[in-house]
Amino acid sequence: MADSGNFQAPAEISRLRTLALGIGGIALIVWAVGLYFNPEQALRSWLLGFIFWGGIAIGSIGVLMLQYLTGGAWGVVIRRTVEAGSRTLPVVVLLFLPLAIGLTSLYEWTHLPPTDYTVQHRGWFMTQESWILRSAIYFVIFGVIVYLLNKWSAQQDRTDNYEDAEKFLGRATAFSGPAMVFYALIVTFAVVDWVMMLDPHWFSTIWGLLFVAGWALSCFCFSVTILAFLSDKAPMNRVLGKRHFHDLGKLMLALTMVWAYFNFSQFLIIWSGNIPEETGWYLTRMAGAWGYIGVILVLFHFAFPFLILLQQDFKRKAKRLATLAVFILILRLVDMFYLIAPNPRIDTHGFEQGAFILSWMDFVAPVAVGGIWLWYFFGQLMSRPLVPVMDPFLEKAIEHGQGH
Amino acid sequence: MEKNLYGVMAEFDTATELVDAARKTRDAGYTKTDAFSPFPLHEIDEALGIKRSILPIMVFFGGIAGFITGIGLQVFVHYIDYPLNVGGRPYLSFPSMVPPAFELTILFAGFTAVFGMLFLNGLPRPYHPAFNVPRFALATREKFFLIIEGTDPKFEYDGVKSFMVSLGPQEVFDVDE
Repeated sequence: MADSGNFQAPAEISRLRTLALGIGGIALIVWAVGLYFNPEQALRSWLLGFIFWGGIAIGSIGVLMLQYLTGGAWGVVIRRTVEAGSRTLPVVVLLFLPLAIGLTSLYEWTHLPPTDYTVQHRGWFMTQESWILRSAIYFVIFGVIVYLLNKWSAQQDRTDNYEDAEKFLGRATAFSGPAMVFYALIVTFAVVDWVMMLDPHWFSTIWGLLFVAGWALSCFCFSVTILAFLSDKAPMNRVLGKRHFHDLGKLMLALTMVWAYFNFSQFLIIWSGNIPEETGWYLTRMAGAWGYIGVILVLFHFAFPFLILLQQDFKRKAKRLATLAVFILILRLVDMFYLIAPNPRIDTHGFEQGAFILSWMDFVAPVAVGGIWLWYFFGQLMSRPLVPVMDPFLEKAIEHGQGH
Repeated sequence: MEKNLYGVMAEFDTATELVDAARKTRDAGYTKTDAFSPFPLHEIDEALGIKRSILPIMVFFGGIAGFITGIGLQVFVHYIDYPLNVGGRPYLSFPSMVPPAFELTILFAGFTAVFGMLFLNGLPRPYHPAFNVPRFALATREKFFLIIEGTDPKFEYDGVKSFMVSLGPQEVFDVDE
């Protein structure tokens, strides 16, 4: 029988929760003022915040399925954190609503004339009702995955023997395989709708994978930060060991490399093809200040974390790994800014199309979205024990972390 | 007999005994030691005071050598030796050089890992003196062995022998060269 001790979240989480709501609330009010004066910029900044924080939530769904499929100690210790992340889906839908309501103020394609060749060829696919319908479908499918996996996990907690507990684990594992396929497809469709269509005339077929990998990296960095925070407090100080962080650090390294690999693949193919429909996207992003952001991403989203994470000792120290995780998260936000901000605007307010625009709302909106999202996340984290107490592999997983 | 001595070996019944004995051996100041067990023992590295391998560092520099080779090869071929206009792009086109340089990085790092591991382990080595002890065959089944090698700076036959006996092993053997 598992150690059925008290695995409730420490009181600090509850304090952080209030803090997040306070900061988020203030930022939301400030953002609302911006929305009144410049709705397009406000919504674009909101999209930035939504893709970043919603990405952690959606990435959590993917990592939750991934750890069921691969097994391993890291999956057992990270499970409740990513489960809490996946259960934030209702608030993600809520945070999505401003985008759906302000669709015509945000997306240039809603103003394209019917003679435009993209409108002609894409037909019903690129109409407002189908865009909203598709987003609803994405959330419903995500919702089914989140509901089932969390239901089985909660039922596992309530079992009193390992046979039943193993049955629920087996069910979640069997479900995760096929669900993972749908997940990758849904993420691809979703980010094409939400982000790529900001520039209706440009397309990239690796786009979905950029986000599947990028959001998984966001989720890992976020979870490592949360786990490192919990690691020196009861009850998680009895669970987490340096080998858990070592394993999570390895996964961060792998995903940092995958992120760079996918991004470079996209760049190399467009550079090699050298056709006007595609190169415009990079020409904008390599000019002026956008170009510097691109260089910053190569150096600090890839090269720097890559070299740091190569070192074994670094990955074993929870606090240091968490510092790097926060650093990568900030660069994730810069990456999202690089993908979202340079796209064509409906009303450029006198700027040239593609000119560098960094609005104060690009700072306020992610804080507003993040505050609200974190408030809900911490609530979910507190609602269940911090480890799957009845998991048949829990003791083995704890033992793994204490080794060297 | 002492001239051809490779070392002194002790046989233990359990992994715990071996790890305890290894710890005492390290504390006694012996450095040229080795332990044998039927399955991997994570504690034994620390117990014997075995230092971290320098292999990761070798692999890192192997990778860098591969990257430089990859870039160098392409600069030589496409820019110095036989400049060829491909689709109107510059002769020195960095994006197109990345995939081959990346592959060579991995290839060289992989080779360094494999051959460096063999070199650091002293492999290939078709014969090891430990096999002169007939009971050593049990190291692959159920027994645990500890050796203090004759090349140890503190090695002195009688002292080592009585030290080994003091560890409480099943049996102590002389290992002939």
